[in-house]
Amino acid sequence: MSEDHSVITDVATGTSELDIGASIPSVLPLELIDKSIGSKIWAIMSDFHEFVGTLVGFDDFVNIILSDVTEYDVARKVVCKRSKLLLSSRNLAMLVPEGKGPEI
Amino acid sequence: MSAVPTSASTSNFLSDITNSSVIVKLNNGFEYHGVLSSIDGFMNIVLENSIEMVGSKEIRKYNELFVRGNNVMYIASQ
Repeated sequence: MSEDHSVITDVATGTSELDIGASIPSVLPLELIDKSIGSKIWAIMSDFHEFVGTLVGFDDFVNIILSDVTEYDVARKVVCKRSKLLLSSRNLAMLVPEGKGPEI
Repeated sequence: MSAVPTSASTSNFLSDITNSSVIVKLNNGFEYHGVLSSIDGFMNIVLENSIEMVGSKEIRKYNELFVRGNNVMYIASQ
């Protein structure tokens, strides 16, 4: 196990591909979401609900504002439309930029 | 004012929709259609003249209603 780590560590820069704490990732996770503001995004909740809409903004907890939203209840196969909503981050699992939405 | 940090877009949306008709959906599937009179950073909500909906069935009516924020899935403008 220790051999694997030593191979990747770069002595000159002091960075390591495995040690996330020591190196700065090229794209921070929330940068991806920030770049998606104004375009379509697909929000997947942990409870079989999915939302597709235009991302208006988000806050520190990744509560998100969506406009022209289609709500999918994947378990019950129910779809409905909302003009604008604030989606709580409590059950938010994933955000997919350029999301097409589920096939339901 | 709010208990948690909010970005401009989320707090703008909340100030836009206060005193207008909203739909609040809870994690248990219940929906409340009413007039949003107040909301805070925990998403605690006070609704006026709200109707409780399950699916498309109307269950009850409340003149004034407090919803604890942890149950809220979303708040949509109507």
